[in-house]
Amino acid sequence: MQSDSVRQELRRSIKDAASRQDVSAVVKLCRTLLATSDKPADAMFCASAFSGIADALTGHLAARRLKAYVVRSVTVEPILPFLTTEAVLSNYVLDLHVGGYGSYVDELLNPQSALARFKPDIIFVLLEMDDIAGRLPELCADGIGESVDAEIEESVARVAQLLRSFRSANSARILFQGCLVPDSSSLGDVGDANLPHSLTSAVHQLNQRLAALCRTISDCVFFDVDHLAARYGRANWRDARMFLASRLPISAASFSAYSRGLIRSLSALFRAPRKVLCTDLDNTLWGGVLGEEGPDGIATGSTFPGNCYLEYQKFLKQLSSRGILLAIVSKNNEADVREAFQVRAADLGLRLDNFVATKISWSEKSDSLRELAKELSLGLDSFVFVDDNPVECEAIRQQLPEVTVVAAPVEEPWKLVELLSAQSFFDAAVVTDDDVNRLNEYKAQAQREELANSAGNRDEFLASLGIVCTFLSALDAPLARSVQLLAKTNQFNLTTRRHSAAEVEEFAASPGGQAVAVRVRDRFGDAGVVGLALARNQGDSCFIDSLLLSCRVIGRGIETALLAHLADNAIKFGATRLIGEFIATKKNAPCADFYLDHGFIEDTSPRNAQPDSVFYQLDLTAAAPASPQWLTLEGNESNEPSASAVVTP
Amino acid sequence: MSPQQVPSSLRDILADILEISPDEVTPEAGVGTVDSWDSFRHLQAILAIEGEYGVQFDPQRIAELTTVALIQTELEAKGVAL
Repeated sequence: MQSDSVRQELRRSIKDAASRQDVSAVVKLCRTLLATSDKPADAMFCASAFSGIADALTGHLAARRLKAYVVRSVTVEPILPFLTTEAVLSNYVLDLHVGGYGSYVDELLNPQSALARFKPDIIFVLLEMDDIAGRLPELCADGIGESVDAEIEESVARVAQLLRSFRSANSARILFQGCLVPDSSSLGDVGDANLPHSLTSAVHQLNQRLAALCRTISDCVFFDVDHLAARYGRANWRDARMFLASRLPISAASFSAYSRGLIRSLSALFRAPRKVLCTDLDNTLWGGVLGEEGPDGIATGSTFPGNCYLEYQKFLKQLSSRGILLAIVSKNNEADVREAFQVRAADLGLRLDNFVATKISWSEKSDSLRELAKELSLGLDSFVFVDDNPVECEAIRQQLPEVTVVAAPVEEPWKLVELLSAQSFFDAAVVTDDDVNRLNEYKAQAQREELANSAGNRDEFLASLGIVCTFLSALDAPLARSVQLLAKTNQFNLTTRRHSAAEVEEFAASPGGQAVAVRVRDRFGDAGVVGLALARNQGDSCFIDSLLLSCRVIGRGIETALLAHLADNAIKFGATRLIGEFIATKKNAPCADFYLDHGFIEDTSPRNAQPDSVFYQLDLTAAAPASPQWLTLEGNESNEPSASAVVTP
Repeated sequence: MSPQQVPSSLRDILADILEISPDEVTPEAGVGTVDSWDSFRHLQAILAIEGEYGVQFDPQRIAELTTVALIQTELEAKGVAL
């Protein structure tokens, strides 16, 4: 704990910065204050400071403003300042509304409830075990209770009905909190651990079933509060006195850990994970300096301290298994590094070909990162940089502020994995096949570039790739992949609307609506589902709401094929005009002229639309866009809403 | 009475929680005289005070601690040196 004078000084600086509306200073200072103080008064102080600068936070720091509704059966009010504060530290501004104490059933089921009228972006569903499965403690009392499984089934069915019924009428994202395993029961620790139907095992089972339920509901994340309680200590997580007297579910000492957990889960619903981890080698991927100690001198392998580095290597390999790309950024001699990976292969958890790219040279690391971003066609804001050298870390922080920097603890190498997993930047509630195949796809891209250099003209080159486009319904992409594309695609994204799964379903289900995804493969590999378009006919016009393509496949005519496909469908549905919309962002300049390049003319007729929207129109009776000849088209997209349009499986 | 009679640590906590100026935290300030002092702020204030001084109040007493002076007296009764 810092001395009180330091704390008072920080608070004064926060007040000053807030009165100057210097938002980044306020956030930075509050972060410092809260990192060392868990006093409720300080959280309240920061929450007040933030509420005075909410507009500037969304304006200057591009914090995302979310209308959040808390559906609860417990007292949450004392926790709210912590929640607001943790949200701002993760760059969200929450407009919080708390529902009635006992009215959660009505709020979720009634389409005219206060919740529905509030039109939230997200709902937090915070219930207690006695609301979800109140009979469990009694049924588990003998530890062999026959009816425990049935009670769990019924409880999950009740929750399923609440959530599904809510989802059918409302597209707000859902954070559903699981149950807390009680710290003690009448069976005692031994009975809890050994009896087949102890309360402990029943609540674990209940939580697993609830998590499985959440997976079947679109835009819904399961918040495992019990996992968090176990991490911070179950004994101190709840204050029985305050729970029984005021139905406060969390002890005051746990408010910030709890709020941080809630916001981390919320983030998975609104933010795409980072895609690339760039690691340094010396004293990061292995112990010691390769150039000085030689390949046999570096620390890695099964004995301490080499096993600390092996743990990190294994962690990286696991990240790579779910599609996080690994790259090496190191100041070393490339030949030495190759030798080390060969000589020490048995002691290393990674091979060189687990890395999508390597930048091993003596040039500045910021230059290496810029080159990597270009080669992988990824924004620097999807990069994480891990390095033990504080000077390198600081240089990246200053020169490339979009990159997340993790300083490897050189004196305590056993802490690196813990440090990385505590961060939310790789969090994903959903992993798709396309994520898993990403490494191969990026490697195939490198091979394609090689071919591009050898092939004569562009058309010949593209024809030689043997590209096949398959059109399918966005609901079958699968839907989770479609939503992921909407959430993640920045460069080739004409409107950058981050639609939810429910909104995609609306396009697919409405008459004259289209929700089309495109899967692409070529002779080097299957890129998976990489493009998406949403459109809707209104009168004689077809309005293209969203059209996007993963940057990995831009420039091969796939965008034209997607447009041609939309146009074909629009004509079938009776449209004679195609209306395209473009909303400029910091990142989507590569597609600014997309509609002009495809024969559209600017459409300046007044519309009720976002002020930064630019519209284009194309007369479909004169010329409909056609797909490039080098592409082979396949389509099994049906215009009828498919079976998966229904949320419940 | 002057605000100096409220010990500064207690005064600052209540000012933060109730979002009022420290000068307004007088011994007689309480539920009914400070607009923002509703039942939830009361709970919040009690939790903050418990955390600050390392004490726990009896839940039945919590509802009765409705002024700054009453809170101060209760803290002193628990042996807290203010």
